[in-house]
Amino acid sequence: MKITFYGRLADVVGRELELVVEEPCTIARLRHRIAGTFPAAASLLEDRRVRACVMDELVPDDHRVGVTDAVEFLAPVSGG
Amino acid sequence: MSIVACLEGRSLDPGAELGALLEQAAGDGAVVSFVGIARPVNEDGDQIERLVLEHHPTLTKRSLEEIANAAAQRFGISHVRVVHRCGEIPAGDPIVFAGAASSHRRAAFEAADYLMDRLKTEAILWKREEGPAGSMWIEPADADYRERDRWG
Repeated sequence: MKITFYGRLADVVGRELELVVEEPCTIARLRHRIAGTFPAAASLLEDRRVRACVMDELVPDDHRVGVTDAVEFLAPVSGG
Repeated sequence: MSIVACLEGRSLDPGAELGALLEQAAGDGAVVSFVGIARPVNEDGDQIERLVLEHHPTLTKRSLEEIANAAAQRFGISHVRVVHRCGEIPAGDPIVFAGAASSHRRAAFEAADYLMDRLKTEAILWKREEGPAGSMWIEPADADYRERDRWG
């Protein structure tokens, strides 16, 4: 599974991560798994402002993704 | 009614944007505009050489469009114009233009205020300050979320 990170998350985890996922799982489960691998990103991944995106749509934490889906995690946004 | 929402990677000319809005607003009674500028010094007193605004290939533009559309519907204004920079922005350069035109001033003032409160907290962009002291990500302050939340 290809995972892409934006903003501050990319500084901690890297821009892209290839994660082996053996069965479909929720976004919440992915957050937990990535946090386990990258403890420095754990608090940020738990931040409710960090949103997940699948196929250009923002999805909730209970959204299930397949093993070959691409997932993006967006750090807290700020414009203006 | 017209709604313009653009993401600009190279330059933003606020005078030209205001001129375009004024031209569209022929027949209206009010035009209000806001220009956000990259500050040369941050709140800690550190010198800032540039802002870097990272964007998403599809979601950023869509977020600008959604915010501009919401302002147009909420305040019943005639024209909305939002132009946001992305990429590297030297200190002193404009970051964002937000403008509204309407028959009367109150709706235009409120629409511009609303646009900026939502752009600050919901536009899908990631903002980083760079200067001699290093690089730092900038996220909305609690006050920014409170300002946004007052619109309900």
